[in-house]
Amino acid sequence: MFKNTPIYWKLVVTSIRAKMEYKVTFLFLLIALLFYYLGQLGVILIILVKFKNINGWSLGEMAFLYGLLVFSQGISTLLFSSLNYFENLIIEGDFDRLLVRPLNPLLQVLASSFELSSVAHFLIGSTALYYGATRSGLEWTFQKIVFFPIALAGAVLIQGGIRLAVAAVTFWTTRNRSLVHTIVYSSKEFILYPISIYNFWVQAFLTLIFPLAFINFYPSHFFLARDSSTLLFHPALQYGTPLAGLIVFAMAYALWKAGINHYQSVGN
Amino acid sequence: MMSDDNSIIRVNNLSRHFTVADGKSGFIGSIQNLFSRRYTTKKAVDDISFSIAKGDFVGYVGENGAGKSTTIKMLTGILVPTSGKIVVAGNVPHINRAQNARNIGVVFGQRTQLWWDLPVLESFDLLRSIFRVPEDDFKRNFEELSETLELGPLLKVPVRKLSLGQRMRCDLTAALLHNPRILFLDEPTIGLDIIAKDYVRKFLKMVNKERETTIILTTHDMDDIEALCSRIIILDQGKIAYDGSTEKLKIDYVREKAIEIELHEDDTGTISIPNVKLVKSTANKKWLRFNQDDISVQEVVSQIMRERRVKDIAIHEPKVGDIIKNIYANGKAASQQTKLQKTLP
Ligand SMILES: Nc1ncnc2c1ncn2[C@@H]1O[C@H](COP(=O)(O)OP(=O)(O)OP(=O)(O)O)[C@@H](O)[C@H]1O
Ligand SMILES: [Mg+2]
Repeated sequence: MFKNTPIYWKLVVTSIRAKMEYKVTFLFLLIALLFYYLGQLGVILIILVKFKNINGWSLGEMAFLYGLLVFSQGISTLLFSSLNYFENLIIEGDFDRLLVRPLNPLLQVLASSFELSSVAHFLIGSTALYYGATRSGLEWTFQKIVFFPIALAGAVLIQGGIRLAVAAVTFWTTRNRSLVHTIVYSSKEFILYPISIYNFWVQAFLTLIFPLAFINFYPSHFFLARDSSTLLFHPALQYGTPLAGLIVFAMAYALWKAGINHYQSVGN
Repeated sequence: MMSDDNSIIRVNNLSRHFTVADGKSGFIGSIQNLFSRRYTTKKAVDDISFSIAKGDFVGYVGENGAGKSTTIKMLTGILVPTSGKIVVAGNVPHINRAQNARNIGVVFGQRTQLWWDLPVLESFDLLRSIFRVPEDDFKRNFEELSETLELGPLLKVPVRKLSLGQRMRCDLTAALLHNPRILFLDEPTIGLDIIAKDYVRKFLKMVNKERETTIILTTHDMDDIEALCSRIIILDQGKIAYDGSTEKLKIDYVREKAIEIELHEDDTGTISIPNVKLVKSTANKKWLRFNQDDISVQEVVSQIMRERRVKDIAIHEPKVGDIIKNIYANGKAASQQTKLQKTLP
């Protein structure tokens, strides 16, 4: 995998240059995204101003929770966004081309588009993280500093794995636009708030079946030193993000591999 | 069927079926289709076996939908076979995709392997990285190819701005940059004008000769086959209808011969030989036709030479294209026959 890094970057640079031909589109997208996330943040703030806290989460803690989501989403968008348009490669049979080159097809897909507008995620995400950490008086111990990038990687793997699984489904269905919209784009709405606001079944679902809660809810307990004895299943879940990320991504990759073997190409 | 050690491609009892769900489209539709049982199975490739020797130039022909592209896609690792075995230069294509990719070059006439928005030269450079071609090898190879195919003025042009003929020259180069042992060409001359076709043919002939590249070519242009292929595999509805040398095809399938004779001005009589048909006749030109099962070419010619004053004589070779059309037609007739028999009590 690592020996392919230079080629990956070469392909990435190529796709960035191709995209730069559409500077105006890029700027509009960036501005639209900034407004979208500011709006989202605004709603949370309004609720907080009204109720002082959400299910025991203060303003600072909510900002941290939100920042963790948006920042990791920025990385996963940067790396995996090309998977959202994967059906284009399948419908036209253009995926053929990637299979006759001696380079992992997934790597080729990932390198084919590099979403620079995720700058918006990084701006909003890092601001929210910084504000949240300061406001809630987060103490950066050595353990937390070490765990932060690891948890972030896990969160990115969860989101990347979900995108990958949704893309892999295309090998069977040829189309997946609506699945991308429901699962990849909209599902994040669930974790804008601490999942403890939901009933048992929803919490169990977001932990065991569709483990979005590991993106921000569980690791936030560790970073913010919240009382983890109230966690649904086990206090250890606050450290579970890296493992959850590996499991989700491994399962998605297995589905992807099976999908490639099911690839039908197109008849003329 | 050859199975000597000289073979670079071996295919045994290979089949590929497609299940086509009837009806519903769209994402939800396709999910429903997954669970419904209303689909039909299409046997695109149906239990075929062959082997191809190193350095061969094989024409893979058949009517639309015969299964040519499907076979090529399995040999290149794009499609996984439904059943059967494939070994291409020691690899099973769909299992060792990357390794197989290093040994093969692929050109699909219908779509380019290059990056649509990039200048040609940059596409080549990316391929060099992907295939990990050493700088020196690449340079030598590229210079040779770009000289023979006269790519100079095209290198800075984005692929989308190339004409079909220019694009094909670039695609051929791209497929050969890593100097593959086998070249797969799926309709490389489709849509090209006569001059461009001729150009591509000459080039392929050279590649096969000088680089000793094994070439498998699908085409609907019988002149491609006649000009290039030493061997033909004819596919008919997923099954092999003929497999052998181009020469043998002529001998096996064409018992009809045509002879054109020009006689001296003062020799105006008619020609009558038993079993030989006089198709057309002018004052001193005669066109004859006969079946070699009834009388040999030699016999006909020697009899005429003995009795008449011949100025010129021409024996017409059958056209490969006509023969192949005949085989398609016979195949159809045969399968209709069997269908008929099945419906009879
Ligand atoms: N992806 C696919 N899904 C469903 N059916 C397919 C698919 N690919 C090919 N087929 C069917 O399999 C059969 C063989 O197709 P194939 O493309 O191999 O034919 P071909 O010999 O290359 O024809 P042509 O000369 O038109 O290119 C056709 O009936 C075609 O409709
Ligand atoms: Mg075809």
